[in-house]
Amino acid sequence: MIVTRSWLNEWIDLSGISTEEIAKTFNSIGLEVDRIQEFRVPKKIVFAKVLECEKHPDADKLNVCQVDIGSSIRQIVCGAANVRVGLTVAVATLGANMPSGLVIKPVKLRGIDSDGMICAAIELGLADMGKGILEIDASMGECKLGNEVSTNPLFNDDLIDIELTANRGDCLSIRGVARDLSAAFDRPIKAYTVTDNDDKRGIGRVFALSHEKDLNVNLSYKALSLKDLNVPTLIALRLAQIEEDRKSKIEEILLYVTQSTGVILRAYEHEFFCTGEEDKIAQVILSVDANGYAIIEGKETASIVGIVQKDVSKSKKEEGTVLLEASYIPPDIISKKMSESKIESGPFFYKTSRGSEPELKTGLAYCVDLIESSSNSSTFGGRIELTNTYNEKIVSITKQEIDKIIGAEIDKVVVSKIFKNLGFDISKSSPNSFVISVPQFRHDIINKQDIVEEIVRMVGIDNIPSKPFILTEDNRLEDNYFEYKRRSIFRHRGANNGFYEAIHFVFDEKKTLNKYGFETTKEELELLNPIVQTLDTLRPTLLTGLLKSASNNVKNGYSSVRLFEIGSVFTPLREESYNMAFIFSGDKETQNLTNAGKPSKVDFAYFVQKISDVVGCVELRETKTTHALSHDFQSAEVLIDGIIVGELFRVHPNVEKDYDLDVTYMCELDFAKIPYGLKVAQKTSKYQASFRDLSVIMPEVMSYEKVKSVISAAEIANLIRFYPVDKYSDEALGENMSLSLRFVLQSNEKTLEEEDITSAMDTILAALKSELGIGLR
Amino acid sequence: MKEWYDKINDALSVETLEEIRICVFGKKGVLAAEFAKMKDLSGQEKGKLAKELNTHKASLMNEFTAKKITLQTEALLVAMKAEAIDVSMFSTSSQSGALHPVMETMDRIVEYFSSMNFAVKTGQIVEDDFNNFEALNLPKYHPARDMQDTFYFKDEMMLRTHTSPVQIRTMMSTKPPIRMIAPGAVFRRDYDITHTPMFHQVEGLLVDKEGTVSFANLKFILEDFLKYMFGEVEVRFRPSFFPFTEPSAEVDISCVFCKGEGCRVCSHTGWLEVLGCGIVDPNVFEAVNYKDVSGYAFGLGVERFAMLIHQIGDLRSLFEGDIKLLEQFQ
Repeated sequence: MIVTRSWLNEWIDLSGISTEEIAKTFNSIGLEVDRIQEFRVPKKIVFAKVLECEKHPDADKLNVCQVDIGSSIRQIVCGAANVRVGLTVAVATLGANMPSGLVIKPVKLRGIDSDGMICAAIELGLADMGKGILEIDASMGECKLGNEVSTNPLFNDDLIDIELTANRGDCLSIRGVARDLSAAFDRPIKAYTVTDNDDKRGIGRVFALSHEKDLNVNLSYKALSLKDLNVPTLIALRLAQIEEDRKSKIEEILLYVTQSTGVILRAYEHEFFCTGEEDKIAQVILSVDANGYAIIEGKETASIVGIVQKDVSKSKKEEGTVLLEASYIPPDIISKKMSESKIESGPFFYKTSRGSEPELKTGLAYCVDLIESSSNSSTFGGRIELTNTYNEKIVSITKQEIDKIIGAEIDKVVVSKIFKNLGFDISKSSPNSFVISVPQFRHDIINKQDIVEEIVRMVGIDNIPSKPFILTEDNRLEDNYFEYKRRSIFRHRGANNGFYEAIHFVFDEKKTLNKYGFETTKEELELLNPIVQTLDTLRPTLLTGLLKSASNNVKNGYSSVRLFEIGSVFTPLREESYNMAFIFSGDKETQNLTNAGKPSKVDFAYFVQKISDVVGCVELRETKTTHALSHDFQSAEVLIDGIIVGELFRVHPNVEKDYDLDVTYMCELDFAKIPYGLKVAQKTSKYQASFRDLSVIMPEVMSYEKVKSVISAAEIANLIRFYPVDKYSDEALGENMSLSLRFVLQSNEKTLEEEDITSAMDTILAALKSELGIGLR
Repeated sequence: MKEWYDKINDALSVETLEEIRICVFGKKGVLAAEFAKMKDLSGQEKGKLAKELNTHKASLMNEFTAKKITLQTEALLVAMKAEAIDVSMFSTSSQSGALHPVMETMDRIVEYFSSMNFAVKTGQIVEDDFNNFEALNLPKYHPARDMQDTFYFKDEMMLRTHTSPVQIRTMMSTKPPIRMIAPGAVFRRDYDITHTPMFHQVEGLLVDKEGTVSFANLKFILEDFLKYMFGEVEVRFRPSFFPFTEPSAEVDISCVFCKGEGCRVCSHTGWLEVLGCGIVDPNVFEAVNYKDVSGYAFGLGVERFAMLIHQIGDLRSLFEGDIKLLEQFQ
């Protein structure tokens, strides 16, 4: 909502209050200031009159004008098409510094002397009023020839752009904004006196209204006989300031009046409602259309109340009879209707759906007075109205209730003043309680807290003290908090082990996901309105997001990329859970002296070690992943404490190529399954541990998993752990290889003797021989 | 004897010194030979020679020990010198990763409110109309729904547009009093230089007996919280509108970049909008069937906080796993 100082001044006396102060007040009463713009016409620009205007002998588009600038008559060459004798204009005299940086000097244009410039609005630093020079009329007040334009406050105006919240339809007009200021400054709002000239020819001679039934709309009509319709300079200037225009003069005037008063106005062609040839009485019918909207009908539908006026019924002429209509419909009715069956709406729908001004008489009278004063039009006497009774909303609230919600004592007199200035009736209040009658234009006020909000706005939140809330002690640490904490702990562990934390959108591209074999959200549960095609489904995995980011980082010149993410993923049935995923691509470490500037690439063992450093001791089992991102022979299930928690793999060479990546490893885990809890300490032995290595010859294709399970199954006493330490193969071994295993034995009762160890080794070898047919070299 | 003193003094290495030691102190050494001469001497001369020899023995031993320490120290120094490195070549940067600034900011916010005895509730991302809109006093036709352009699914479910539905779910499942925050990802259909379709919010809610929770209480906690997050800033409340609170306010802090002087970031106003808040609207309590209660609620955008605190310019880079940005937070 754009307001200007001079425009507001028509409704409230702002003298003695600076524009800065007004803007500050807007902010503190909840009308957020978006922008302030000062229009300042430079010095040495004066009002002038065009006395003569001749075509330039050598240039078609130029005119040679004799202009009265008060002190003298100047010859000025002007290129505007609208320059003509008799116009009052703004002339930049010699030495004027224009906003564009131009300094006015005497010049010769195609051989003719020109001593100044006749200006367009935009050249003066005003709003852009379109092509041609500024034509000044009586609406701009006193414009004495030779006076500086900068002394006229209508030109030197200040504009404030307010960002209104959705509930404040009442402030979508200058008058409404002035009403709020009236409460803030405690200055009365100026009333608009409506004078009915009933001595004129009555409206009944040209107009008749019929309606079907109670449609919950207010309508008010006036009839006018237009002649020499004209848009005064001030109106044109202000419409340029609010950056709006309309197709016809009558529509521009209506727009201006709506902007000023908040009343929704329409003008209809009289003939549109005249059915017969001879019929000179417009038959206006208020009815209901198939969707339940209230409509105005003539030959066909003329308009839908509160929504749109059809082009066919619009008045375009500047002469002849027109019907002026002011309308009001409660905003909740039309916005509800609109959500049920959406139809195309016109430019005023924004206002009507947020609440336009219900006091139609003022808007209509303001409009008629404006047209009469700026043209030779005449009005038919009287109005035809259809008014729906408004059931006043009454809110009762005690001072104590007000003080409790605010948390501070507010003086009763202050409260009374606020509501009086805001246009609320509080005359029924008793000493103990405010009985507040809510005016129709404040449909947003329903309950006590709405009432308190008005007080808070006007008193100013900054004037309310801060007080701590006194609460009852309570333990509020519960599952959700522990979950958050657990994520936080693993995020820290990820970062401490060299991974950068990434966040990606939970959206991803269905096409890509399906291409790599991921199952996406079921069609009937899919996103209805994705923002872009590349984000058209919910992600079932964190892997693709990490791949994309890794790829971008490589493009940015990073040869080692380590990222992780903990985030939501979704099943095809849209069930949500948290995953934790990692990507490690390219160099193991930074380039430095110890690796001669050529760090080795990440390998399987190194990656597994990193993952294990983050999530704890992991066990890997060979697997084939269900998706196509993984290397066929380097992929594993990840087990922690014997439970499968996810997968770990080298990225398939084709995928590495798709994403321009060097050797890359990834891991994705179901976050809920990563164990985290209080540990129980095991009893430790005070005796020394013994180490013993065995090298067994086994087929190269045999999985270590088998060896491991056979040794585990043998349940060797005092065997604490065992692990592979060396792998060797050569031609002599053929399809076999030699695998060295290290065994750690330790007893809680004694230091193990040589024979204890030997017997354990023998049992292991025997089991390997009988179960797998493998043994020592 | 004199010559041995010189020899010890002139020895160039620990090995030479050792050889000298054997020559002097060994069984067949010089001293032994001198002592052997005593047996041919008379008692008085014997005593004199013995005294003389013992004096030599002691001082030679002193000389020897001192020389040995000197030589050993020199040798060690030489050995260490051979191991010399140019330490300046080993300056290095951290190999550790880093937390995402948005998540780290969220952690700090959660830390503050946990210590103020707020419970943490997280909820679900896919929501229904009741919890996301209806119960929050946003009926279907409400113009404020325009403010939150929503992602819908084909079955009329939606991605939550704020974390407020977590508050509704909490109120539906627990009795008052309530004191909670809801941190998490939220979604709006908006994608440009200052908007991403996903971002993070933390919303807070306090509910207690009717007449106990006031706007003054809300002011207290938010002023304290903003000072915890941003340091010594000025805090300003402006009345505003949210369907679920009444009275409502937006909260500004004095610009952290220009200290309120006016700059590009604060659009030359000197203020930065950081929070929305208010007293819970009675319609919300009605929707969750709470009676005789009062409460306050507030909400903030975590990305905005992170960007202001860490002076990050580009919102979208936050969602691209961009190491250029992330490595600065090691």
